Amino acid sequence: MRRLLALWEKETLALSRDVLGLAVLFLMPAAFIVVMSLALSDVFKGGAARRTEFAVMAAGPKLADRLARKLSGEGFRSAPAPADEAAARDAVRRGTPSLVLVVPRDFERALDAPLDGKSTPPSLTLLADPALPPAQLLAFQQRVLGVTLSLRVSALMRRAGIAADADALELKDAASLSIETIGGTARPSSVQQNVPAWLIFGMFFVVMPISSLFVVERRDGTLARLVSQQVPFSLLLLGKVGPYFVVNLAQAALMLLAGRTLVPWFGGETLALPGRWDLLAAVTASTSFAAIGWGLFVAVCSRTLEQATVIGGVGNILAAAVGGVMVPRFVMPEAMQKVSEVSPMAWALDGFHAVILRQGGAADIAEPCVKLLALAAALLAAALWVHLRGRVLTSAQ
Amino acid sequence: MGTLNLEGVSFRYPGPGETVLDKVTLVIPAGGIFGLLGPNGAGKTTLISILAGQLRGATGRISAGDEPLEALRRRRPHGLGLVPQECAFYPMLSCAENLRFFGAMQGLGGARLKERVTAAARFARIESALARRAGRLSGGLKRRLNLAIGLLVEPEILLLDEPTVGVDPQSRAFLLESIRSLAGAGRTIVYTSHYMEEVEAICDRVAIIDRGRVLVSGVLSEVIRDGSSLEELFMQLTHRSLRD
Repeated sequence: MRRLLALWEKETLALSRDVLGLAVLFLMPAAFIVVMSLALSDVFKGGAARRTEFAVMAAGPKLADRLARKLSGEGFRSAPAPADEAAARDAVRRGTPSLVLVVPRDFERALDAPLDGKSTPPSLTLLADPALPPAQLLAFQQRVLGVTLSLRVSALMRRAGIAADADALELKDAASLSIETIGGTARPSSVQQNVPAWLIFGMFFVVMPISSLFVVERRDGTLARLVSQQVPFSLLLLGKVGPYFVVNLAQAALMLLAGRTLVPWFGGETLALPGRWDLLAAVTASTSFAAIGWGLFVAVCSRTLEQATVIGGVGNILAAAVGGVMVPRFVMPEAMQKVSEVSPMAWALDGFHAVILRQGGAADIAEPCVKLLALAAALLAAALWVHLRGRVLTSAQ
Repeated sequence: MGTLNLEGVSFRYPGPGETVLDKVTLVIPAGGIFGLLGPNGAGKTTLISILAGQLRGATGRISAGDEPLEALRRRRPHGLGLVPQECAFYPMLSCAENLRFFGAMQGLGGARLKERVTAAARFARIESALARRAGRLSGGLKRRLNLAIGLLVEPEILLLDEPTVGVDPQSRAFLLESIRSLAGAGRTIVYTSHYMEEVEAICDRVAIIDRGRVLVSGVLSEVIRDGSSLEELFMQLTHRSLRD
């Protein structure tokens, strides 16, 4: 135990004197949390949060105004209509407005066509900015069809001699629909996605100081010296676990604090805290062990600082890209979502979301935690195996 | 610990490559300073690393007295100490922190650790530098810290791998004097160096090895015959061709 404590003290002293390395471990994820939470806030809120401008081009200003009024709201705002269709195409190409609805001259007459499946329905054209998110385009498309349907129903009722106010026939007034999401919000908000995601990324970045110091220890002969002093190699590896576990816990505390204070200070949402802190601690600990295991494996496999930096850094970035840290998994195609299941960062993110987002219980975090701990054990065993297989510890020739 | 006996010790690193040590047989008597000489790549550091327990996979037999060295090492883990060729300590820690760390790793603690840190620092004359970061020391101080770490547990056999590389004449003279005093206290010292005059000055016995083989071994005065110098003998045995 004395030797393990001495190793932990040495590692802590060495790490505490590497100011740049510590700054990377703490400032990098905090910066990502603030920047990405703010940058992606509208994307996570969906179409309603974005104010998308549209214009209506119709034969008469009265019809254009009426349609614009009915189509406005819930994230869509009407803009002045361009002079003609060519000008409309130019405007949409520039993205101002993002949408132009072109209404043909015979639109009002076509509204009177009977709903018998034989008549030609009204024909409309929607010019759309290709940069517009598909979900918003779809939402506007549904609004246009809904408004057109209400106008047709109104026309039919008028023909049938039933007094009806077309403006009163709104889809939103058809019924009262309340949405209840089970276990918190259905999807993470920007801050709920980005705080755990970049925290995990930061936690896995301990691979850099762990492997760098290990390579330096091997290069300078300190590892060989310790081995000659009959210090078991497994103890040398365990000597890295304690200090970096504490670093990971400190990262978790500070990143949650960043989600609670920094992000709202910059105008973003406030991170909702989990109901079960014990479960959050379990997920954090499991993630930490996996990250440290990864660091030890890279450390043992790397012969030079360059190798350690490339293997650790690129490995982390790939795992983050695949695992839903950089791009949320729910926006990935189904095939990519399947691929993402191999990333330990995705397991960790599942665990954090189960606690922070879904307010889940122990059963919900069991699978990600078991996966992360199994990975940690496998990586530690692999590191020992690589060392034993190499047979030679020193660079002496 | 008794006499160190190496009988037919061979070693090769994993993968394709030459045999680094080829049936090395040496007798290193207890007490005194044994000089191990050889050109670059001769196998000196490999031999020292095997004796220190850093390298596995050597064939042949190594014993200390009547007991295999490996068994003795398990029984008395700190009976054999190493001062490696590299300055093998942590540059970001102070000298005192390095000494305390390596002492603790060898089982020292409490008052005994404090006492040994003080004694080793005094012996290596680094007391005034104890609070300084090891990475910011001069070359001579680094070598002395390297030696002090090796002396923390007072090993009976001390392996010194080129301990005077890169130091000024004053530090070298001090280190040689220190090594002589360590041998005077009854320790066995195995000393590798490229500096022939150093070996001639402090060693009782020498062995010259090249390409993993022992070319000559014995009492220094018997090895150097006909009034020639150790350097002349070395060049004669290992030839003048440049080594990789």
